[in-house]
Amino acid sequence: MALFVILLIPLLVAGLSMIPTKNAKVSARATILGAATVFVLSLFLALGTAPGKQVGVPAFTSWFSTDGLSLLVLLLVSFVGFTASLFSLGYVGRTVPENHQDRIRRYYRRFNLFLLSMLAVPLLSQIAMVWIAVELTTLLSVFLVGFENTPESLEAAWKYVVLTCMGAALALMGVLILYWGLFISGGGEFTWSLLKTASPKIPPVFLTTAFILFLVGFGTKAGLVPLHTWLPDAHSQAPSPICALLSGVETTTALYVILRFLPMVSGSPESALSTWLLVFGLISVGVSAFLLIQVKDYKRLFAYSTIEHMGIILVAAGLSSGTGYAGAVYLILAHALTKSFCFFSAGATLLVTKTREISSVRGLIRLSPVTGSSLMIGGLAIAGAPPFAVFLGEFSIIRAGLAQGQYGVIGALAFFIGIAFCGIMYQVNRMVFGKVSNPGEQLPLPMSCAATLIVAAVPVLLLGLFVPDSLYDLLRLAALSLGR
Amino acid sequence: MGEKIFFNLIQLLVVMVFSPLIKGIIDRLKEMVQSKRGPSILQPYRDIWKLFHKDEVVSEQSSWIFRFTPYVCFTAPMFVSLLIPVLTDYPLFFAFMADMLGGGFVLALAGFFATLAAVDTGNPYGPMGASRTRMVGFLAEPVFMIVFFTVSFVAGSTIPYIVQKVWITPLANFFEPSHVLVMLAFLMLILAENGRIPVDNPSGHFELAMIDESKGLECSGRAAALMKWGGCMKFFVLLCIFLNVLVTPWGLASSGSVWEVLLAVPLILFKMILFIVVLVMIESSLAKLRLYRITEFMGAAFITCVAALLLQLLEIQG
Amino acid sequence: MTQFNALMGGLFILTAFGIVGLRQILGSLRLFVAQSLLLAASAFILGATHASVHLFVVAGIVLVVKAFFIPWLLYRVLSHELHAKREIEQALDVTTSLLLAAGLTVIAYFLVNPLLIAASDPFIRINLPVGMAGVLLGAYAVAVRREALPQLLGILTMENGAFFAGISIASDLPLLTELAAAFDVLIIAVVVGLLTRRIHKQVGTTLVGVMARLKEE
Repeated sequence: MALFVILLIPLLVAGLSMIPTKNAKVSARATILGAATVFVLSLFLALGTAPGKQVGVPAFTSWFSTDGLSLLVLLLVSFVGFTASLFSLGYVGRTVPENHQDRIRRYYRRFNLFLLSMLAVPLLSQIAMVWIAVELTTLLSVFLVGFENTPESLEAAWKYVVLTCMGAALALMGVLILYWGLFISGGGEFTWSLLKTASPKIPPVFLTTAFILFLVGFGTKAGLVPLHTWLPDAHSQAPSPICALLSGVETTTALYVILRFLPMVSGSPESALSTWLLVFGLISVGVSAFLLIQVKDYKRLFAYSTIEHMGIILVAAGLSSGTGYAGAVYLILAHALTKSFCFFSAGATLLVTKTREISSVRGLIRLSPVTGSSLMIGGLAIAGAPPFAVFLGEFSIIRAGLAQGQYGVIGALAFFIGIAFCGIMYQVNRMVFGKVSNPGEQLPLPMSCAATLIVAAVPVLLLGLFVPDSLYDLLRLAALSLGR
Repeated sequence: MGEKIFFNLIQLLVVMVFSPLIKGIIDRLKEMVQSKRGPSILQPYRDIWKLFHKDEVVSEQSSWIFRFTPYVCFTAPMFVSLLIPVLTDYPLFFAFMADMLGGGFVLALAGFFATLAAVDTGNPYGPMGASRTRMVGFLAEPVFMIVFFTVSFVAGSTIPYIVQKVWITPLANFFEPSHVLVMLAFLMLILAENGRIPVDNPSGHFELAMIDESKGLECSGRAAALMKWGGCMKFFVLLCIFLNVLVTPWGLASSGSVWEVLLAVPLILFKMILFIVVLVMIESSLAKLRLYRITEFMGAAFITCVAALLLQLLEIQG
Repeated sequence: MTQFNALMGGLFILTAFGIVGLRQILGSLRLFVAQSLLLAASAFILGATHASVHLFVVAGIVLVVKAFFIPWLLYRVLSHELHAKREIEQALDVTTSLLLAAGLTVIAYFLVNPLLIAASDPFIRINLPVGMAGVLLGAYAVAVRREALPQLLGILTMENGAFFAGISIASDLPLLTELAAAFDVLIIAVVVGLLTRRIHKQVGTTLVGVMARLKEE
């Protein structure tokens, strides 16, 4: 029942935002309220699950069901959705001129629909419907990416929609081939759980072909190299709260679908498929680390870091050991929270300095202490410095890899992570410290933005040091659902 | 056996006698579509007759090739007409002398000599047109080859008589993709090889834009008559291959009686007239392509053949 | 009947080639309509042979949504841009594009060959390779074409190809899924069409292949 409510709320709020009131504040506040409710509900669902129990809606189990991994993703989506809606209140209010209230209303309507599609992905259990939900996450966010209506943002939106739709069509072929394989080996409901049990009977060639199509197709959406070219553009041209949603959770939902495939193939000779994951993951980490060094726009910096982390998660999944899966799941959690925080601080920086270029921003900490310190924390956290959560995740993955004996892979991974660390820290340092270049007239940061930064900083700071028990159980459940 | 030789000769006569008529019909129909009156359909006969009675003017600088070419261009289509099904659907006496591939080569021989003759006289427009003709020719070669290969996959042979049987016996075979797509590609080939729109304008007088017409520019008198007649016969022969083997393999005489064979003559003419209507519609609605777009046109024909071949392979494996 | 279905498949590949190489933009749109009609015809034939009402419904959905609704919508949304345009150049010249496309078709056949070993149904043997070829050719069209509408038609071709394979191998997916997938394709067309119009208004051209402002330099 709660699942229905979770999906219904954003739909309602989207409809509500369409009401032409004099002030768009109504839709903004309704969005925040709706997102908060969704978050609370999903918190209850996620942390209240007993191990092994599947939450489902009784009559519709073949359409809606959840387990550990999907609950984790659901929780992350709802949390980032909540913080993003909070940040939007100040950000959109500041960046859209006063007399364009209907633009603000349109923004919130699209925001809610986008959130709805992302919430649907982990909840649906029919694979074909999951494909449709992933397509919808793209289509409903196109106009959000192009919200600012500049030629650059429209170009970013175009590349985004074209490349991800191409990937989705490839993934559709994979879905159909998977269905055919299931049909040949006896049939049944086309759900994740049934596929897990039926996969030993499916001829391996079907699973391999479907897996490769899934990897390439959904990998385009997750930002894996070489199909990542849309990601830096789209994730830097969108308004900052949307960037947080895109980078933090949309790529995660695409990666979730790929990871969901793993239990199906773990039984069969896994070496080939996990090698694919390792190779793709390593290439993504390497290419993004090197591309990261030469960026000129700080939002693109964070976007490349997203590609890097998606690669690391894929490598962790490719290790196909229990500790590897645990590391992957932890990094998913850490990355979503940290990346959204980074984009919030980037948005705050944009509001304060009004420029996107790294070379024009200097001495941020003096210009606005809140922004400067949050950018510093965010940069440190996402680059992988201790004692933050991302560091813990990367470290456990490296340890898992060493325990498995994959020295080459882990060596390369550590090297690339090191390069990315240096790249990010160099740019962030330059921006935060130093002499203020051109002070000019500054409006103070909107209250809601500052509040969001503080709220979002809490998990970033704490999770590296302390994981509450219920959250730890959830992580364990999620890791279990990845393995056999 | 004697009958077969006799029918072969009738076939040859039909090709020789009726090819200018077909040309006349096309010209007249094109003009009628444009709301003009057009020349009489017997006009090509009168032209050939007139040209035979005129003097020949031959350049002193030209060699034996120039004098020899009109005979080659005249006899090559006659050769090919002995090999293909024009009136009967069972092989005649000379049918196994060469298959479609050989027929294609014989026609290419005539084209080769025509090109050389155009270069031979030293006229500036000759080599220009000749080089363009060769360009269209070499682009058309791969298409020819693949058409024949596809056809031989299907029928197991490249003798036209045998191939023709494959399409008609179970009627469903007519709709096979390898058949329909090969038909399309061959249609594009006919347009290219005979210099019709969209590849070339057959009624154009502008030498700088001529492709196929340029081969007859320098000829006069008897040579011109032979070239003209040879051109008509080549068109007739290619149409016969197209219609009798691919498109409408019915209406041919299947027994050995003379009357059936003679009955097949108006039938083949009727089929040709139907096709000419389609051709005139195509010609009147398209514009002539720019020279380098012709490669795209032939590329499209090539792709159609490749698709036909692939689908045939898919079906064979099954 | 299998020959007729194979003919639909052959013409389907031909329309995909056309979308890769045809210069006229309105012509490409008409080719897309033809392609959707062929898809509906193939679904119809399959439904008649397997006596499945499900496939007839799918054929109907494809006919209404893809052969009628989407082209009509695109025509209405983009008519101002469409009438003015004929694509002058592509990333590669057309002949080379077509030859590479032929190569891609062969690759598609080899990709699905291991799967075909398990299949004995003559319909699957045609539809699956043709569908896969449609997907690859559509992706190629997106890469090679520079105008907005042909790129969109490339994506729609990919979806058509996936459907073409799907009607033979996954013919009894729940009807709700088929409806939702068709609706999804409709949304793709609407979204990209509106985005094209906006790009035309802001940037002044629909030559999206040359929009390259976002780079590291």
